[in-house]
Amino acid sequence: MASNKKYWKSVEELNKNSAIVDTLKQNEFPEEIPTDLFLGDKKTLEATSTTRRDFLKYVGFTTAAVTLASCEGPVVKSIPYIIKPNDIIPGVAEYYATTIADGFDFANVLVKVREGRPIKIEPNKDANGTTNARVQASVLSLYDSLRLKGPKANGAEISWNEADQQIIAKLNEVKASGLPIAVLTGTSASPSTKKLIAKFNETFENVAHVEYDAVSESATLDAFEEMYGSRALPDYHLEKAEVIVSIGADFLGSWQGGGFEAGYSKGRVPTSGKMSRHIQFESNMSLSGANADKRIMAKPSEQNQVLLNLYQAVVSGVVSSEATPLNVAVQKAAEQLKKAGSKAVVLTGIQDKNAQLLALAINKALNSEVLDVSATKNIRKGNDADVAQLIADMNEGKIGAVIIYNSNPVYTLPNSAAFVEGLKKVKLSVAFSMQDNETANAVQYSLATPHYLESWGDVEIKKGQYSLVQPTIKTLFNTRQFQDSLLAWTGSKATYYDFLKETWNTEILGDKSWNQALHDGVFAADAVQSEAISLEVDLETAAAQLAEVKGSDLELQLYVKIGLGDGQMANNPWLQEFPDPITRTSWDNYLTISKSDADALGAVNNHVANGALNGSMVELSINGVSEILPVLIQPGQAKGSLGLALGYGRTQGLKAEMQTGKNAYKFYKNFNNFQTGATLKLVGGEHEFACVQLQNTLMGRGDIIKETTLEVFNDASLDPKHTWNLIPVVSLDHEEVEASSVDLWDSFDRTIGHHFNLSIDLNACTGCGACVIACHAENNVPVVGKDEIRRSRDMHWLRIDRYYSHEEDFAGDNEVKENGKGAMGFKKAMDALEDPSENPSVAFQPVMCQHCNHAPCETVCPVAATSHGRQGQNQMAYNRCVGTRYCANNCPYKVRRFNWFEYPNNSKFDYNMNDDLGKMVLNPDVVVRSRGVMEKCSMCIQMTQATILKAKKEGRPINTNEFETACSNACTAGAMVFGDVNKPEDTVTGLAEDKRAYHLLEHIGTKPNVVYHVKVRNTQEA
Amino acid sequence: MSSHYEAPIRRPLIVGDKSYHDISVDVAAPVEGKANKLWWTAFSVALVAFLWGIGCIVYTIGTGIGVWGLNKTVGWAWDITNFVWWVGIGHAGTLISAVLLLFRQKWRMGINRSAEAMTIFSVIQAGLFPVIHMGRVWNAHFVLPLPNQFGTLWTNFNSPLLWDVFAISTYLSVSLVFWWTGLLPDFAMLRDRAIRPFQKKIYGLLSFGWTGRAKDWQRFEEVSLVLAGLATPLVLSVHTIVSFDFATSVIPGWHTTIFPPYFVAGAVFSGFAMVNTLLIIMRKVSNLEAYITKQHIELMNIVIMITGSIVGCAYITELFIAWYSGVEYEQYAFLNRATGPYWWAYLLMMSCNVFSPQFMWFKRLRTSITFSFIISIVVNIGMWFERFVIIVTSLHRDYLPSSWTMFSPTFVDIGIFIGTIGFFFVLFLLYARTFPVIAQAEVKSILKASGEKYKKLRDGNHE
Repeated sequence: MASNKKYWKSVEELNKNSAIVDTLKQNEFPEEIPTDLFLGDKKTLEATSTTRRDFLKYVGFTTAAVTLASCEGPVVKSIPYIIKPNDIIPGVAEYYATTIADGFDFANVLVKVREGRPIKIEPNKDANGTTNARVQASVLSLYDSLRLKGPKANGAEISWNEADQQIIAKLNEVKASGLPIAVLTGTSASPSTKKLIAKFNETFENVAHVEYDAVSESATLDAFEEMYGSRALPDYHLEKAEVIVSIGADFLGSWQGGGFEAGYSKGRVPTSGKMSRHIQFESNMSLSGANADKRIMAKPSEQNQVLLNLYQAVVSGVVSSEATPLNVAVQKAAEQLKKAGSKAVVLTGIQDKNAQLLALAINKALNSEVLDVSATKNIRKGNDADVAQLIADMNEGKIGAVIIYNSNPVYTLPNSAAFVEGLKKVKLSVAFSMQDNETANAVQYSLATPHYLESWGDVEIKKGQYSLVQPTIKTLFNTRQFQDSLLAWTGSKATYYDFLKETWNTEILGDKSWNQALHDGVFAADAVQSEAISLEVDLETAAAQLAEVKGSDLELQLYVKIGLGDGQMANNPWLQEFPDPITRTSWDNYLTISKSDADALGAVNNHVANGALNGSMVELSINGVSEILPVLIQPGQAKGSLGLALGYGRTQGLKAEMQTGKNAYKFYKNFNNFQTGATLKLVGGEHEFACVQLQNTLMGRGDIIKETTLEVFNDASLDPKHTWNLIPVVSLDHEEVEASSVDLWDSFDRTIGHHFNLSIDLNACTGCGACVIACHAENNVPVVGKDEIRRSRDMHWLRIDRYYSHEEDFAGDNEVKENGKGAMGFKKAMDALEDPSENPSVAFQPVMCQHCNHAPCETVCPVAATSHGRQGQNQMAYNRCVGTRYCANNCPYKVRRFNWFEYPNNSKFDYNMNDDLGKMVLNPDVVVRSRGVMEKCSMCIQMTQATILKAKKEGRPINTNEFETACSNACTAGAMVFGDVNKPEDTVTGLAEDKRAYHLLEHIGTKPNVVYHVKVRNTQEA
Repeated sequence: MSSHYEAPIRRPLIVGDKSYHDISVDVAAPVEGKANKLWWTAFSVALVAFLWGIGCIVYTIGTGIGVWGLNKTVGWAWDITNFVWWVGIGHAGTLISAVLLLFRQKWRMGINRSAEAMTIFSVIQAGLFPVIHMGRVWNAHFVLPLPNQFGTLWTNFNSPLLWDVFAISTYLSVSLVFWWTGLLPDFAMLRDRAIRPFQKKIYGLLSFGWTGRAKDWQRFEEVSLVLAGLATPLVLSVHTIVSFDFATSVIPGWHTTIFPPYFVAGAVFSGFAMVNTLLIIMRKVSNLEAYITKQHIELMNIVIMITGSIVGCAYITELFIAWYSGVEYEQYAFLNRATGPYWWAYLLMMSCNVFSPQFMWFKRLRTSITFSFIISIVVNIGMWFERFVIIVTSLHRDYLPSSWTMFSPTFVDIGIFIGTIGFFFVLFLLYARTFPVIAQAEVKSILKASGEKYKKLRDGNHE
C-alpha cells in the first residue's frame, strides 16, 4: 500500500534552505564518526584482545559455517500421500484384470499393483487365464530402461503434434498417388483394432491390413480354412484325451500359441486308474517330448512319413509294408488311436498345409472329441503369402506407405534385407514400437507405444470369449497407443478408450455392464450355436504332395524356447536367465545335435575346471545362408537333425549383456521351421555355455524321483510290496522301522494353528517353468548374469531339475546300479550312468527349500539366523546372517543361495536392480538382500501372512485353499498345490496323505514340508 | 624335572662339549647377534607374501566372497581347507610341550619352544579363515554370545561352528599362557645378558620380573604341570571339535563317526611334519645342532610314521564303512572321492600321507636330515590335500545330481593361502631373532644327565 503520509522529523524542516536539513540530507551520519578516537589511539588498539588475525579467523569461520549450513545433505525424496487416494491403502495390493496380447502370448491375467506400480502378473483364474514364464516376466518389460521413450522421426526426437502433421500430410500424399497403404501388424485378435483399421481404410482408402506372426502358424490356418471355412486355429481339449499322438508338435511349448498345459496335465494325473497316453514323434527334444510316455525320434522329413503312414493306417487301414522300427511305432500308435476312438487326438507341428490337413482328417476320422472346431482361437492370424507379397510389392515400389505395429519384421523376417530395401522405396514408413528395436531404427517414424500394462484394448482370444486390456499405471514415457494414433490420423477427436467402450457397448456387451466386464477382464458372449461347416478336401492330393517332400542328410528344425519366445522380450533379464527346461542352459541359443552326429563331425562338449560347459563352434550353412554357432549335444535329438532356437541374436534396443545368441530367423526360409540341406563345418574355438545343471542323469537314484507304471499303480497284485513308494527303513534297536518314525528330538505339537505344506505332483508338472519366473518376481530374486551362472551361482529359489535316463527308462538305470556288484562293478555302473541315453526318458522335478521340520541348516548356523517357524516354514533372518555358508553345505537339497556379490546397485550386474526404472518391479513386501547373506525360498511367507491378516481384519476364518505361494499360483498345470495341512478341507491335506506322496530324501530324516507325488507313466502299448 | 641318571644306551640329547654357559651363549646368539643376509631374504619374501595376502583379503572383504571360486554347491573350499590345515599344524606344539611333559619325555626340551611358537603362529593363521570366510565380516561379533538389546537373540549353541569359536580361542589362550610361562626364565637370562639398556628393559618386562629365586622355580614347575594338565585335553578337543564341523552334518563323506580320532591323528601328523620342516632349517641357520640333534629328528619321524599310519588306517576304514553301510549315497561319495574328477587330489593325499611316512621304518632314512626334510614337506602337502579332499569332493557331488558341479580356485583363493604362509613366516622369523628359541633353562636341567660330555665321563668305558 503506497502511502503519501509525510513524517516530520523536526520543526527545522519547515524552514526552507535550512543548512541543517541540507547537511542531514547529504550525510548519513549527522556527526562525524570519531574513527580517530578508535584508530588513532594506538594504546587502546593494542590492548584489545581481538587481533586482526583473530578477526579474520572469526570472519572466515562464520562465513564458512553459514555456507556449510546452507548446503543440503543428500535428500532421498519420498512422496507421501498427502491426500490418500480413496482406493489405495499403502501396503495393500490392488489387483486389476487385464489381458496380455503381444502377438505371441495371449492370456487373461491379474495384475498386482502396489502403490500404483504393477509388480506381478498372475493368471486370472476366474477367466481360465493361464500364464507361462514369458507372461509372468512381461511386467519387467514395462520397466525396461531402453524402451522407446517418445516419437522419433528419422532417429531425431519429435513431438506428437509434429509427427501427426507430417504423417497425415504424407498419408494424404500417398492417398492422392493412389498407392496402397499397408498396415503390417502382429496378430492382435482385437475386434476394436480391426474395426479401427477398417475406419482408417475409410479415411485413406486402399489400406491393406497384413497380419504377420514372427513364428508362423500359417499352414495350420490355411489348412483349417480349407477344411472348416474359417481362418482360425482349432482348440484341443487335451483333458478329454486318452491317447495323444503328437508329430513334431511342441504343444507344451508355444505350438499354435500354447496354453495346453492345463488340459494336458489334468489328463495326466491318474484318477480312478486312468491317465492319458502320450506318444511323441519328434526330432528335437521338446518339452512335450520330454513329458511323453513314449518318445520316438524322427527327423523332420521322417515326420512327414510318420504322418502319412498314420493317416493311412487310421483312415484307410493300410499298413506300411516295411517293418522299420519307425513304422512299427507308427503302427502301434495307430492301433492305440483307433482303440481310443473319439478320445484320441493327433497333433502335428509340421509347417505344411498338407500335413495339417491330414492331421485334421485323422482327427475327423477318429471323430475326436478333443478337437474343437467351433470355438476357434484367434491368437495366430499371420498369413505368409500376404507378407511375402507385401515385401515383393514394396520392392517394386507398389506400396505407398507401410505402418508397422506390434511386430519387428526387420529382426524376424528371414529376408530382412529385402524388407529393409523395400522400406526405402515407400513414401512413408512408420513403426509403432515399445522398444527402440531393429524395425524402429529402420523406418522414418518410430512412434513409441505403451506397454500393455499402460494400455487400453480388447482381445478375442477364442471365438466369443472377449477380454479387456486396461492400464494399471499411467504411461511412464511419452507414448501413445497405435489405436489412438490411428484415431488422430483419421481426424477423430475420440480417444481409443472412448472408441473401445463404444464398440463394446454397441457390438459386444449387449445389455451387460461395461464396468463388470472391465472388473472381470473377460466377457463371454452368448454362445452362438453355429454348426461347424466341414468342406470337402482333396486329401489324396494332400497326401501325395506331402509324400513328395524330400529330406536330406542333415535337417534343421527351428524351435522356440520357453524363455525368449519369438524374441520380443530379449531385453528382459529374468527371461534371459531363465534356464531352458530341457537343456538347462540360460543366456544362449545353440545348435542341438545328436551325440553320434557330433562324434562324426568331431564336435565336443566338455567341462572346464570349475565345471562349466564348453562346446565346439560349427558353421551351419543352408542354401547359402550360414552362421557360426556353438554345438550342444542333446540326448534325444534325432540322428541327422539339428535344432536351433529362434528369438536370440537381437542387436538393437537391448543392453550389451542381453545381446545373446545368434539370430536364427535368417534360416526361417518360407516361414518353415523345417529346413533341409543343412551342412556343418567344424570351425575352431569353443563357446562358453551357462548351464545351471551340469549332471544330466539321475545316477540310478530312483528314490529322488520315484516312478512307476500305470499298470503297477492300478494293479496291486503286480507289486504287492508297494515298492514303487517305499518309505525307507532304518534300524532302531535292531529292528527295521520307517525312517520317518525315528526322531532324535521331542517333536512339537504341530496340530495347532497353521501348518503349511506344498504338494508337487510329478505327473502334472510339465517343467514349463512359469513358477520359476513367478518366484523371481515375487521374491526379488537377483539376476546374476551369464558369467556367474557359468560359475554355478544362479540365484533361483525354485529350480526345475531335469534328468535324463541312461537306459531307456529310469527303472533301467536302477537296474544298472543294482547290478553293479563289487567295487569295480559299482564303479563301472556309476561311470556308465553318468552318460544319458541316445533317446532318454526324461523327468522333471521342481526343487525349492523343502522347509524341513528337522532342518539340517538350522542346527549348523552359528548365529541362529535360520530357524523354524511355528507354521512349518524354515525361515531366514537376513539381518542376522553373517554368511558362513555352513547351512548351504549342510542342505541335502542344495536350495540355499548365497549373495556372492552386492547384486542391486552394482554396475557389474547391470540388470533390473541396477536402474531406478527396473527397481520399480521390486516387491515391497520382500527385502532385497545385501551381499554376504544366504537366501532361499521362504514359502512366500509374505503372502501367507497377508492372507492371515486379511482374514483377521475381515473377522472370518481362512477360506479353503485360500493360502497360496507365487509358484502354486502360477502353476497352470495344477502340479503345485499349497495349503494348510491342519485344515482338512484344504486340497493339500488330502494330497499329503495320498498313496503317491513321498518326501525327497526321506531317509535322512529331515521331515520336509514339501511333498512330491510319484510319477506314473502310461506304458500300455495296446 | 630334575636330571636323573640316564641309561648309557640312550643317545645324548645335547651333543658336544657344552657347559651351562655355552648353552646360554648359544641360545642367546641369534638374539644378540646381527641378522645375516639369509634371514633378511627370507623375511622379505615372507613379508611380500603376507602383504599380497592382505591385499587379497581386503579385495575379498571389499567386493564379496564371489571373488573366490566357490559356488552354490561348494560353499567351502580353500577357506576351510586352510583353516583345518593350520589348526592341524598347531597341534604339535601343545602335544610336545604338554603331553610329553606329562610323560616325562626329555627330548621335548630341545624343540618345545619352537613347536609352541609354531602352534601359536599357525593358530593365528587358522583363526583368520573362519572370520574372513564370512559373507559379512563386519558382523563377525554375532558369533560371540554378547549381551544385546534384542532379548533372546543369542548364538546357536547347537552349531559346531560356534563350538569352533570357543575351541580355537581357548586353545590359543592356553597355548599362549603355557608358552609364556616357559619363556619367563629364558627371557630373564636374555635380560641378564643384555648390554643395551633398551634391550634390558624389554626383556625385563617380558620376563615379568623373574628373579630366579627357589620360590620362582617352584612356582614355575607347578604352573607348568598344571597348564600341561589343562592343555592335554585341549590337544584332543580342538581337532575333535573341528572335525565336528563335518561329522555332525548330513553330507555323505562328512557324516562320519571316525572323524574325531582321525582328525586328531592327522593334526599331530601334520604338526610334527611342520616342526620338522622348521627345526631342520633352524638348527642349521642358528647353529643349534648341538641341541636339536639327529636323535630329536628321528624321534619326531617315528611320531610321523605312527600318526601317518593311523591316518592311513582311518582312510581305509572310511572306505570299508562306506561299502559296509550299504547306503548308496555313502558308497558313491567315496567312490567319487577316489575315482571321480578329483581323483588326483585323492591320490596325492594317499601317497603323501599314507605311503611316504612308511619310509621311516628304515633307520637310515629316518636319520637322514635331508630325507626327513623332504618327507616333512610332502606330509604337509598331503595333509592340505586331505582337507581339500574331505571338503570339496564331498560337497561337489552330494545327494541330488542336479546340483553337482566342480570347484576351481581363483587367484584370490591362492593369494590368501600364500598370504597366511607369508604371515606365518614373518612371525616365525621375527621370533627366531628375538626369542630364546630353545628352552635353555630346561635344557640345562638335563645337561648333566643327557649331555654327551657328561655321559662320556660317566660311561666312558663303553665307547
